[in-house]
Amino acid sequence: MALALILRNAPKIQAGAFQQNLIKSSSILMVRDLAPAHKQHSTLSKPSHSLIAPQKFSQVRLMSADHSKLWPMEKALSVSMIALVPAAIAMPNIVFDNLLAVASVIHFHWGLEAVVVDYARPIVVGNILPKLALGLLYLISATTLGGLIYFNINDIGIGKTIRKFWAIKE
Amino acid sequence: MSAIFRLANRQTALKFKTNFGLLSLVRPVTLKPQPAPKEEDLGHDARNMKLGRPQSPHLTIYAPQMTSMLSISHRATGMILTFYTIVLGTGAIILPDSIETYLNALEEYHVGGVVLSVGKFILAFPLTYHYWNGIRHLAWDIGLFLSLKEVYMTGFAMLGLAYGSAAVLSVI
Ligand code: HEM
Repeated sequence: MALALILRNAPKIQAGAFQQNLIKSSSILMVRDLAPAHKQHSTLSKPSHSLIAPQKFSQVRLMSADHSKLWPMEKALSVSMIALVPAAIAMPNIVFDNLLAVASVIHFHWGLEAVVVDYARPIVVGNILPKLALGLLYLISATTLGGLIYFNINDIGIGKTIRKFWAIKE
Repeated sequence: MSAIFRLANRQTALKFKTNFGLLSLVRPVTLKPQPAPKEEDLGHDARNMKLGRPQSPHLTIYAPQMTSMLSISHRATGMILTFYTIVLGTGAIILPDSIETYLNALEEYHVGGVVLSVGKFILAFPLTYHYWNGIRHLAWDIGLFLSLKEVYMTGFAMLGLAYGSAAVLSVI
């Protein structure tokens, strides 16, 4: 259940300067996003636009729990995988293999969590199915992480497996 | 004069059994200022459902565009990569033989270079796509390439890199 603990405590850990940078840039994103939209869809900038009270735009509606601390962690993990994935395939070793296992599983867990939240909405499918799906996801993620680490320690590991398959030429 | 009006009004009121008509013109009306009714705080989904609005982006209404197609492909390739990962992770536990045994067996089959190359391309492409497009997503997250022109340009560049690197990987 180490995985569940990692995932639950992740938002509590402060990612420091990196997090601050990303939060700052995410607000840039919102501002810059609006400018071209006005130009491209002229209907949007017609007077009707101003009927909507400006504070409506800054109203934040969260799908589930507070996501503002989790988001920078997700992005930091994705950035690290840009280097980790090629490294683990280019130079297979147990450290890279285990880092890749942990990073991939946490990354896909968060990714699939977003998918479940998007498609299994309580208002459409009821309250039970989303909980069931998320529970199942925890089970799958934990099993996969356990299996991968077992494989890295007791067998040839992820990196060598990929290389071995790729070495088959005939 | 007023008596005639009053009578006439009573007549019409009786006839139509309604409060509208001339009656309302004669009766004194007091306007009382009242605060606007508080908007019920439904969620985004509930409000749109109440208004009969379809889910957005609605696939049967909205034309496919490069932007939306690349976006959903990122999700699709992420899910394919997840499938690989789950197969390897659970396979390592539940398969009767080691993964290496199956790889050796595959080598013994001599399925042929072309089949292997096609297979490698099919396996590699979701990773190369998700990898290059993931970098594109992260660039957006720090505020880069957000104009529509740049979104298309980076989209084409990403596709070139994704197909190119998958093609190279499929023949090595
Ligand atoms: C190799 C480096 C990788 C990078 C740079 C990367 C990057 C990303 C990014 C930035 C997102 C979020 C997209 C968004 O903003 O909506 C994402 C989503 C996702 N990724 Fe990755 N990824 C990588 C590898 C992987 C791997 C190996 C897997 C599977 C084990 C994976 C599975 C997923 C899934 C399931 C999603 C969720 C899709 C969604 O919510 O639409 N990714 N990835």
